[in-house]
Amino acid sequence: MEEKNNPLSPHLQIYKWQISSLLSITHRIVGVINIFAFTIICFWTLSLLLGAESYQIINNFFKSFFGKFVVVGLCWTFSFHILNELRHLTWDLGYGFDLKVSKVTGVLALIGSFVLTILFYLIGKNFF
Amino acid sequence: MGQFNLPPNSKIEVGKYYKDETNSKNLKKVNVYRWDPSSGQNPRVDTFEVDMDTCGPKVLDILFKIKNEIDPSLTFRRSCAHGVCGSCAMNIDGVNSLACIKSHTDINGDLNVYPLPHLKVVKDLIGDLSTLYKQYESIKPWLQTEQTGKEKEELRQSQKDREKLDGYYECILCACCSTSCPSYWWNGDKYLGPAVLLQAYRWINDSRDGDKKERLKKVADELKLYRCHTIMNCTNSCPKGLNPAKAIGSIKKMLATS
Repeated sequence: MEEKNNPLSPHLQIYKWQISSLLSITHRIVGVINIFAFTIICFWTLSLLLGAESYQIINNFFKSFFGKFVVVGLCWTFSFHILNELRHLTWDLGYGFDLKVSKVTGVLALIGSFVLTILFYLIGKNFF
Repeated sequence: MGQFNLPPNSKIEVGKYYKDETNSKNLKKVNVYRWDPSSGQNPRVDTFEVDMDTCGPKVLDILFKIKNEIDPSLTFRRSCAHGVCGSCAMNIDGVNSLACIKSHTDINGDLNVYPLPHLKVVKDLIGDLSTLYKQYESIKPWLQTEQTGKEKEELRQSQKDREKLDGYYECILCACCSTSCPSYWWNGDKYLGPAVLLQAYRWINDSRDGDKKERLKKVADELKLYRCHTIMNCTNSCPKGLNPAKAIGSIKKMLATS
């Protein structure tokens, strides 16, 4: 096609989300969030070295409502990323490409991530 | 990084509304993407009220009914009407499919018909697939052998080796999979896309082919192959029930183990 004036047909605007595509983009976003999470965790550890006062500042943040939201959120992002990465690893081994199987593993990863989040939270609360 | 919004000349406007004139009680609203190259205007979505009592069961039947009875200027590709040629691939109800084998009774509510996503539109429902055809050519979709053609014996293939091509040779190159792939939307000029990679695997996997190593080497590229992130829109949309994601996974595995 030489003419440049031809319009581009709609793509993201019209394409229906599939479970697989939704989990795929979530995996990416969550991966980026996890990088920031690691930075926060590093600063937290670093604050131990800088004395009680700086540790207290970050500790106070974690105790606030927003801080708790961040912590629980990160529990979920890590859980989801780990479980979905297991799917990717089995794909790399050549298994789980079947449409039904990939849908089931996808849903399992999603449900599992919430279960893991609750587990992490309860372990953190010394529930067990 | 791709551009997620449509460029200004591609923004879709509200089109005409064709009201039913048959007084039928069994109506379906059909929204169809329209673009006329001679008009100089932006694409629009026209809405047709179609009488379903006198219409065949497939989406292609609806399109023909509109073309024959309501608006003869509606443009779309079709040939066999039996899911063998792949001409009538388009985006139906948000998922790419062949209009000739997609039943409109499976779709609740209004029916939305768009051309295959992220292509230059030629007219109405016809997208320009020339990039995909060039990419297809680049993988050399024919047998590479040492034979000169003067041998008295044909290239034989055992039944077992032939079975290895099942699920791959059936591809009709309708481009439903490639144009469903977000990765192909953003990197379509460099990433080969599911359809072409499935074909690449079909030739790599052919026991009669003598160029397996060269084929693998050629496809082993950060952009050509590894832009596949197993999003699996391809497998979800394939009207022939094939699995391009698995084919790409197999190529990746071959490269990792060779």
